Amino acid sequence: MSADLAFALRGVSTSLGRFALHDVSFALPTGYVMGLIGANGAGKTTTIRSLLGMYPISSGEIELLGHPVPGPVALREDVGVVLDHTFLVGDWRLTEVERALRPFYRRWDRTRYRDLLDEFGLHQRARVKELSRGMAMKLMIAVALSHHARLLVFDEPTSGLDPVARDELVGIVGDFLIDEGHSVLFSTHITSDLERIGDYVTLIHGGRIVRTGTKDEILDGYRIVRGGPDDLTDLAGIELIGARRTPAGVQALVDTEDAGLLGDRVMVEAPTLEEIAVHVGAPARHRPRSLPPTTSGSIA
Amino acid sequence: MTAIARMTVLHLRTAMPYRNQILLAFVAVVVIMANRPTVLVPALALLVVPSIAGYPFLAADKAGLDTLYAVLPAPRRAVLLGYYAWALAGFLVTAAVGTAFTLVYTRFESTALTGHTILLDLSLAWAMFAVNIAIQFPLLIRYGYSRISVWGTTLPIALAVMAVVRLHVSLASLQDRAALLIPMGIAVFAASAALAPVFAGHRRMRAPAGTPPAGTVAPAGR
Amino acid sequence: MVRVVLSNSSGVPLYQQVKEQIGAGILSGELPDGSALPSVRALARDLRISIITTTRAYAELSAEGFIATVPGKGAFVLPLNTALVREQLLRQAEEGLLTALDAARLAGVGRDELVAMLDGLIEADRTDTEPGRATSGTPR
Repeated sequence: MSADLAFALRGVSTSLGRFALHDVSFALPTGYVMGLIGANGAGKTTTIRSLLGMYPISSGEIELLGHPVPGPVALREDVGVVLDHTFLVGDWRLTEVERALRPFYRRWDRTRYRDLLDEFGLHQRARVKELSRGMAMKLMIAVALSHHARLLVFDEPTSGLDPVARDELVGIVGDFLIDEGHSVLFSTHITSDLERIGDYVTLIHGGRIVRTGTKDEILDGYRIVRGGPDDLTDLAGIELIGARRTPAGVQALVDTEDAGLLGDRVMVEAPTLEEIAVHVGAPARHRPRSLPPTTSGSIA
Repeated sequence: MTAIARMTVLHLRTAMPYRNQILLAFVAVVVIMANRPTVLVPALALLVVPSIAGYPFLAADKAGLDTLYAVLPAPRRAVLLGYYAWALAGFLVTAAVGTAFTLVYTRFESTALTGHTILLDLSLAWAMFAVNIAIQFPLLIRYGYSRISVWGTTLPIALAVMAVVRLHVSLASLQDRAALLIPMGIAVFAASAALAPVFAGHRRMRAPAGTPPAGTVAPAGR
Repeated sequence: MVRVVLSNSSGVPLYQQVKEQIGAGILSGELPDGSALPSVRALARDLRISIITTTRAYAELSAEGFIATVPGKGAFVLPLNTALVREQLLRQAEEGLLTALDAARLAGVGRDELVAMLDGLIEADRTDTEPGRATSGTPR
């Protein structure tokens, strides 16, 4: 039985650690893939760890696959976690990995594991420490799929991967989502992976959610603005997000609602996810006094 | 209960890559103690078993297994008690093999080895092991292996024991206290295991050695 | 089978490209009445686009009467002679005629000349059409 929401965070704040979260709220309906986009240090990892119950929160509530977090330990059977580092003993061979992990999962599928290792080009006799980054990521995916996880949570899976491996990941995610009870959360600062396959996008910056909603809503909600070096000055009340001003010209992101107020001299275009991520993630000192964050999607 | 058993087996698997080191240490002590067979088992309990017990912590530090334990469907309690169960298993196996060697040695020397001496040996070994682990494990749980290391606690204890031994020259003087050693050992061992979650609660979750820490971990799951 | 080739640079939204190409396939008879379409998820996986995109394309095709989606069974092509499709085609014809009118006005072409032009085109189309070739509604 799948819940309506793969997960939901409501008003989550954390007070410990360097990367605190402030009033974080977003949710993912079951059956889709969400990209959690933010620069390094924006709070992605903290958010994911909180979601998985690995990190204490000081306020708010978290729901994972229909259960509140912290939840029953058995909930972890349904969640597959893929990080940018393996969390397995380096000396273990891939067959040992299965022997080590299998006893903990009720639904471990031995045939599936072997088939996946085959499909991913991983040798059963290889040791974990011998795997390249891309292969290590595929191993963690093989593990997650072998215990029939319903939710895959990736934390920076593609950083350090070559384009071929990143493309393979896109294919794996697509396959995983054939089952409408499966969902994927994908935190990254590399937006190109999500430009096409992302269903939902959440932008996070400084531990706060900047915007969350479907990818189309996010893309429709911003415009990229380019002008000459003297353009886009004296704009009362209009926030230029991540404005970059050089002798050659100025470029900024604006709310679509504000785009019409900018005049004719500047060029206004629909942005790519990458441009949104770059401008939203720009260091605070370049940003004008900020307006409150907006949410274009609905939070269940 | 089965979760603890599963975790103990997992800890075994994490320690497996160090089996050569364990074997080497065991053989070294057995060889060195050849001329004092009656203290072989206590020596093993003091010098070899703590490192056996500590290897899962070393492995956890190196590989960032904190995350694995938080991801696996097993309660934190099972992880912690699994460490203690593993240490206990290590003691039992080492004590059994060590006793076998003691018997072999004394047969060569044709020294009379009474059942009483064997019991005393084991009681002493048990007490030293139990105290060692009872002190060491909370520290390992709280701070992790790389900040403590097995020798960080074994060495002071070894020195303390040696000081005590010098004062009470022979094992015979312990005979009347032998009866106390076993329950005392059980008490400190159990107390340490019971307190382990408290130490775990204050632990900072770590990625593999070398990556910056992400922050404090909450007791994950029930 | 379904042939959808997407362009990243055409400026046309992906959902619209999917919708138009499937629609074109249906209208041309490549996707005959009753043929099964891949599920929104399978199509999304194969084209490497988001599920929401394919879902939207299918939703619009369904609203316009080209396909029907059955929960749990996927989607399949509807016969072309349904009223909605006819309405769609009529709208297309009307749009085409409006375009022609605009151009005619600019060129100073009057009604009679325009009607003659239309008759000529219809005649040419009839002789071009192979005997027995099906127009909308007849299965191949």
